Amino acid sequence: MSQSYAKNGSEQPTAALVAQALSVGYSDTPVIDGLSRTIERGHVTALVGPNGSGKSTLIKTMARLMQPAGGQVILDGRAIHTMPTAEVARRMAILPQGPTAPHGLTVLELVEQGRFPHVGALRMLKRQDHESIRQALALTHMTEFAHRPLDGLSGGERQRAWIALTLAQDTPILLLDEPTTFLDIGHQLEVLDLVGRLNRERGMTIVLVLHDLNQAARYADRMIVLNRGRVVADGAPHAVLTPDLLEQVFNVRVNIVTDPAGGTPVCLPYAVATATPSNGMLQENRAAGDADVEASKEVMV
Amino acid sequence: MTSLDQRSGTALQIPDTRPFAARRFTLFLALCLVLIAALLVLHIAVGTLNFTPLQVVRALVNRAEEQLHRQVVWGLRLPRALVALGAGAMLGTAGAILQTVTRNPLAAPGLIGVSQGGVLAIVAYIVLASRSVQFGFISDAGLVLPLAALIGGITAALLTYALSYAQGSDPVRLVLVGVLVGAVCSALASVLLLAARDNEVQRIVRWTVGSTAGRVWIHWHTLWPVALIAIPLGFLSAGLANVLQLGDGVARGLGVRVEGVRVILLFVAALLTAGAVAVVGAVGFVGLIGPHAARRLTGGDVRRLFSLSAALTANLLIAADIVARTVSIGWLNTVFGLDVPTGAGLPVGAVTALLGAPFFLYLLLRRRSDV
Repeated sequence: MSQSYAKNGSEQPTAALVAQALSVGYSDTPVIDGLSRTIERGHVTALVGPNGSGKSTLIKTMARLMQPAGGQVILDGRAIHTMPTAEVARRMAILPQGPTAPHGLTVLELVEQGRFPHVGALRMLKRQDHESIRQALALTHMTEFAHRPLDGLSGGERQRAWIALTLAQDTPILLLDEPTTFLDIGHQLEVLDLVGRLNRERGMTIVLVLHDLNQAARYADRMIVLNRGRVVADGAPHAVLTPDLLEQVFNVRVNIVTDPAGGTPVCLPYAVATATPSNGMLQENRAAGDADVEASKEVMV
Repeated sequence: MTSLDQRSGTALQIPDTRPFAARRFTLFLALCLVLIAALLVLHIAVGTLNFTPLQVVRALVNRAEEQLHRQVVWGLRLPRALVALGAGAMLGTAGAILQTVTRNPLAAPGLIGVSQGGVLAIVAYIVLASRSVQFGFISDAGLVLPLAALIGGITAALLTYALSYAQGSDPVRLVLVGVLVGAVCSALASVLLLAARDNEVQRIVRWTVGSTAGRVWIHWHTLWPVALIAIPLGFLSAGLANVLQLGDGVARGLGVRVEGVRVILLFVAALLTAGAVAVVGAVGFVGLIGPHAARRLTGGDVRRLFSLSAALTANLLIAADIVARTVSIGWLNTVFGLDVPTGAGLPVGAVTALLGAPFFLYLLLRRRSDV
């Protein structure tokens, strides 16, 4: 489980998960339109894009929480909808956005459920199951909270407990839908550091939806940028994060600088790029923004 | 990973700070069962002819001092007590299942229309069938009435599920449609009540409130087969319900076929509720309070919740029935100048509502102060 295996090892970067010509839609309007993408084994892949771009829909469809109208998802070489759902759950774990636990459920009781795909509904946990649960708690630093109810924990601790649930599933692939939303900055980094550790130390393939572009750039090997249900950019963070792309996709003007801490690109938005015609004020802001370019460049240099 | 695997010991070396009922669950459940036995003896002992607990136990094991004791205990009081216990356990399991499936702590067996559907079937049967019979009297016993209630209750539940289904079922929509179906069933029952004969009205009201008066072996024999099938089914599905209560998305991710599991759980809850309603009528509140209290005691893990809820609710219903059997309602007649027939005593459904409502309010207020 060395870093070399995870990132650029001799093993060929086989496909962990493939989206083939996926179309997903609520009724007539497609949220995702004919999207094909391959998720490589052992990488951290971040899905980013503006609100409504389809990134959450894509991760849900890849996790078979949503049915595609067209195309298919291939997991370990097999179409996901032809596999028994419990078998999928033994190969791939998903943490949906904003999960809620019933009142009074403790961390251990939550994490135990991660063994469901392995032991089934009648649930006699064996030694291997207890070991997986123990490891999941240890990896997320939740061991000491095991008997605490989830509703008494902080947002970051609670999110780590939910991630521990997915880790108890013991899958090589982990999908996380906006794992940092509603967390303060410290707890966001806590979760993202955990993601990095799982990838490096256990060689896990991780796909996550993130809102924050800079966090995505820092923690992901690869960023897939979606806009209106289509992939508009895909690659290493420094190749993807360009002022042109961000103006086109997010309607913002940015400066890209290099993070002195990690060498990853950081974007600094300074203005809204396009304004709605009805709002004359924004034209002025745009002019003012151009002046700010100089100011922010000075600051960063 | 291998090195971690080899580390010995799977027990977590950390203090368990959960409530007593969660840590020592088996002991707690055993205490509940002992309490059930004690209440059973007390239930049999009280009445117009008071026995000592010893006399009750002697009569139960066929060592009665007098033949009369044995006749009263075995012929009249034991079946009623057993019906109260059985119905309580069924309503408690059903309530716990529904509260879990709908993720709603206020869900009760009546919530998906089962109770009202069952009562509607009973009322319709009493009113309509008595029209077609020469002497115009349909007994509360027999197989037809409970069967009608069972069919009515389950039909209402299926109707609720079907009407709330739109690209998958949704717990919130399910509850709203359930309230609707229940209201329509109640309204239809009221209309039928208007068409009922005077001598039928008393009986019908007892079915709508819920009563254990006059329940004998024939009632117990229509209750236990349903209980024997549905309660173990409920307990066996606890593992599935446990995952389902984490939300549809998480449950799907863990490999649960959410729609199928939800239908199974709802059907089991409907079967339990309809089975109880078929014998004691629509007893309110116990199926709400029992599971609610059980969840407070055991925490969020459903595998403990279901069995404790069954035991606790059985306790509640038999305790309420002891009150119903001992409290005289003769004072109503003297104070208000009413003419309530006192022979059958207070319906147990009235006791559960009168005592249950303040208790439930207390639970709600306590929860508010917790936050």
